[in-house]
Amino acid sequence: MRNFHPQTLRLIALALVLLATVLFFSSQIDNYFSTRMLNRIATSVAVILPIAIGQAMVVMTRNIDLSIGSVVGIVAYIIGDFLGTHPDLHPVAVVFLAMALGGFFGSINGLLVSYGRVPSIIATLGTLALFRTFLVEYSDARTITTSSLPKWLVDLPQQTLFSIGPIDFRTIVVMALVAAAVFWVALSRLRVARKIYTVGSNPDAAVMAGINTARVVFATFVLSGALAGLAGFIFLAKFGNITVVAGLGFELKAVAAVVVGGVNIFGGSGSIVGVLLGTVLVDTIDNSLTRWAVVSEFWRDALLGMLIMTAVVADTYMSRSFGRMKSKAALEAAKPQQPAKATGASS
Amino acid sequence: MTSPVLELRNISKSFAMTAALSDMSFSVLPGEIHAIVGENGAGKSTLIKIMTGVHQPDHGTILADGKPVTVRSTQEAQAIGVAAIFQEPMVFPDLDVAENIFISHQQLGAVMNWRELYKASDELISRLGVTLDVRRAASGLTLAEQQTVEIARALSLNVKVLIMDEPTASLSAHEVERLLTIARALKASGVAVLYISHRLDEIFRIADRVTVLRDGKHISTRPVAEVTEDGMVREMVGRAIDSFALKLKPNPHGEKLLEVENLNRDGVFRNVSFDLHKGEVLCFAGLVGSRRTDVGLALFGVEPATSGRITLGGKQVAITSPQQAMAEGIAYVSEDRRKLGLAITMPIYANASLPSLKKFLSRFGLIDRKAENAMAETYRQQLSIKSPDVVIEVGKLSGGNQQKVMLAKWLETKPRLLIFDEPTRGIDVGAKAEVHNIIRDLAKQGVAIIVISSDLPEVLALADRILVMREGSQMGIFSIADSSQENIIAVATGQASTEHMALAS
Amino acid sequence: MAISSPSILARLGTWEGLLLIILIVTVSVNAAIVPQFLTLQNQINLFQLSIEKIIVALAMTFIIINAEIDLSVASVMGLSACAFAVLVQAGVPAGLAIILCLALGALAGSVNAFFIAYAGIPSLVVTLAMLIGFRGFARVLLEDQGIGGFPEWFNSLGRDPFLGPFPLSLVTFAVLFVIAAIILHRTGFGREVFVIGNNADMARYSGVQVKRVKAILFIGTGVISALAGLFYAARLASVRGDAANGFELDIITMVLLGGVSIFGGRGSIIGVLFSILIVLNLRNGMALMNITGHIQTAVIGILLILSVLGPNLAERAKSFGKAGASA
Repeated sequence: MRNFHPQTLRLIALALVLLATVLFFSSQIDNYFSTRMLNRIATSVAVILPIAIGQAMVVMTRNIDLSIGSVVGIVAYIIGDFLGTHPDLHPVAVVFLAMALGGFFGSINGLLVSYGRVPSIIATLGTLALFRTFLVEYSDARTITTSSLPKWLVDLPQQTLFSIGPIDFRTIVVMALVAAAVFWVALSRLRVARKIYTVGSNPDAAVMAGINTARVVFATFVLSGALAGLAGFIFLAKFGNITVVAGLGFELKAVAAVVVGGVNIFGGSGSIVGVLLGTVLVDTIDNSLTRWAVVSEFWRDALLGMLIMTAVVADTYMSRSFGRMKSKAALEAAKPQQPAKATGASS
Repeated sequence: MTSPVLELRNISKSFAMTAALSDMSFSVLPGEIHAIVGENGAGKSTLIKIMTGVHQPDHGTILADGKPVTVRSTQEAQAIGVAAIFQEPMVFPDLDVAENIFISHQQLGAVMNWRELYKASDELISRLGVTLDVRRAASGLTLAEQQTVEIARALSLNVKVLIMDEPTASLSAHEVERLLTIARALKASGVAVLYISHRLDEIFRIADRVTVLRDGKHISTRPVAEVTEDGMVREMVGRAIDSFALKLKPNPHGEKLLEVENLNRDGVFRNVSFDLHKGEVLCFAGLVGSRRTDVGLALFGVEPATSGRITLGGKQVAITSPQQAMAEGIAYVSEDRRKLGLAITMPIYANASLPSLKKFLSRFGLIDRKAENAMAETYRQQLSIKSPDVVIEVGKLSGGNQQKVMLAKWLETKPRLLIFDEPTRGIDVGAKAEVHNIIRDLAKQGVAIIVISSDLPEVLALADRILVMREGSQMGIFSIADSSQENIIAVATGQASTEHMALAS
Repeated sequence: MAISSPSILARLGTWEGLLLIILIVTVSVNAAIVPQFLTLQNQINLFQLSIEKIIVALAMTFIIINAEIDLSVASVMGLSACAFAVLVQAGVPAGLAIILCLALGALAGSVNAFFIAYAGIPSLVVTLAMLIGFRGFARVLLEDQGIGGFPEWFNSLGRDPFLGPFPLSLVTFAVLFVIAAIILHRTGFGREVFVIGNNADMARYSGVQVKRVKAILFIGTGVISALAGLFYAARLASVRGDAANGFELDIITMVLLGGVSIFGGRGSIIGVLFSILIVLNLRNGMALMNITGHIQTAVIGILLILSVLGPNLAERAKSFGKAGASA
């Protein structure tokens, strides 16, 4: 028997589900395979993908980051505000500024979880409220509008970086994909990044192997924040108009993409390719439902909830039956070679 | 003569009031397989923990290559070339074998070169004289394969002394061979192996020297050629035979309470058959991993048997849950106080009343706190639990007193059949004697008792009959008159077949 | 020697004692700054504004002591409120609609209970999915409309005096509080809730029906959440799809601030009552001082983090002190 890595099986299953979803909607919705539809899905993915990657790394260490929606909003607003007064800033510098800002907010979560030993669910539930309030206070009920943004930023979402055949690759989409590629390579190639897996896979063994688990967890929260900062920038470019509710509820979409993408909610495993597929699947369903006549678009969240549950249940049972197979095989192997002669010697 | 790669001089270590090691000295030579034997509690695990930096000695020095060193962490132990593998290997289930092996190699550079990694891992594995696909995820490995990964990891760190703590306890015969092959390969490459095992046959097959520990003291270190099995066992148990020489008188037995026929749990244990009378104490002896506890858990319904017949008080019963077992008058006193025995942060009374909580409920399910307290108070006095009152958190009591609270909890269910799993593990000598007296008293009152124990002196002191298990099979039942530590060890380790011994009837 | 009965001083040093002091300070400061603060009407108002949350906080106390969490409570509240609105609009008598909504709450709780207790999936994951899912169903029911026009008697339940000066919702809370206190601290079931939270494996080995207890808790929490959702509908007299959105944050904060351990096994209903009073008084005081709702939320968020961080840091300081003393 070939030894498929369980992760590979997951990815194949996920790709098949995505394919089936696309085929289903294409049979239901006229003119589904249009450039417009593709761009709609792609630009939604561009916003969610970075935070899903960040969330994936946090989840791999057995934690969760519920504050990223607020970080997206806060970064989008502050950067938008800042560009209103500093329109000459170089675009690349703006992106780095956004990521640094996000990283700063992420480091607050990291400090609380790693060094304050506050469970991540509590810490980030608290900072979810805290960061949002900060945004509300900072904005003073003003709204960022496209009119106050530099032209390059307003034009960015329509800007096509390159085209392959009929498919245009929008710059913001490419940005998100580049981020995914960078983290994909890092997580599979960089020794430092592999520590993320060790911490989630077996924390005790990680400590025994001399890995500073607190520092690794801290780093994942900073990265999660920085990626939320990137998403904030893309969000700002995509919508142009930023209010205090920007990014509200994104944390749930990110968790959904991560869980559906096959990242183990108990930590230790998951891949960026899976997260990409998960994000695309979630956004495909999301965007397709708004165009599907049979069911109202208000089914989005209900379906999303069920999708997450299905993914988790499937994962749980897959890994459990896998574990059972394993222990059974081990026990078969543990049986003595010849039947013991002296059994049944009771009274 | 070669100079020792690791030397311990006059090491002492105490926990609370008990001395785990006293004035312990011994040395490890490069490329030798050095076995360490001793009973449970002889100080083997403390010794390992001191060598691997988990504990620091109170007195004495450790020398690596002749130079005194301090070892304060596993990393520092690794730095001087000492590593250990345990029964439960420390692997990362989500990573593949190769990455597991090289997990601690930060000096390998920032970028993973997977091809190099696989090549290096393959080499390491083949140096161990075995085969293993280094690309497999560790989650699919058997225990034995996980051990191989850990050994390869130690080897990759240029280990000079590799400690193997009961490495074969849960392995099959075939896997044991594989491990012995590895140990020999390590020896050939100049690594010293400290081999800690209860299985004397293995020791005679691979060890160069044998060190015997007893009561935290070094008893002897000799080349294996100068040691006989009998002599070694005598040295291991010397004290115990003296102090338990006064065997308590067997209780007169009442009627038959329990009959177990061909009890099986698929892949765990098979064909266990015995009977038990009221007032009788039956001890389950055997090595760690011989599945004694699993038989207890099956009788208590935690992990029910998959086939076989249990007859209790003349009535055939099918036990599939602890609730059911308790309703039949069975109680199980777990070996793991903290995990399975007690709610550590809750008071004595709440722990004591838990399994029999229904008795203390008045109308509307309200707890009768007065009756509950009175019950707990009764046990506090009766079992002499050292605590001013019964509202104290159990976690604040000493191990022996915690054990008594756990006893109180099960005694209150007024069981017909009491199963004790390692009833005196980790408690001091005084408390141990008390627990033994309590067990004998219960038997005198007509309770049928099963004691699962790795502590042979304890088995010999308590038992009326002894059931010996090995690798999930029942090797036989011996009456106390025909039993000695030597022959129980022999049967439990597979050294002697049961034909050589008289079977109890 | 660690073994000694807790003295009066030790009792004051407990979390509940600390909460009581904070409560007294909060109330005193509020009363000093705002003259009308201590009037009965203001106190009733302050309860009423958060009545749905504090009712659910009682159920959440059980859940967290049991070492679980329920993030879906606010969505169940919203679902119940929306279902009620739709049913009433469709001509179902309000009385029957109430019963149907409570049944819906039980159903929602059963979904959680099934996945958590019987399928063995962590409650954090299940209820996070259901937070989205149940809210989604609430949105499906109401889409983007707001429904009002409930019977007058129903609306008055959340508003008008029912018993003396107290409205029904407040009376309900009081009754539920007493029942919760008795169940949690005086009954065998409550004892089992604590024991499971402390050590679920041990509980199973002691014959406690762990799955059943967990199932009862989640189903009960579903019903209580549905009830709270109805009070929400009555208080606002109209319902939208985002009814009670985000309430889980406040609810969990109240419980954790009340000294209930996030790891389960420890806590008391009195502590939760104190923390409810603190949160309500803080919010009310801030409102009377014209501090915006968002700042209030932030303060709650900070309290939530501090309620876990504080004990952690204190413990660390203590162990440092010990290490220093022994060195």
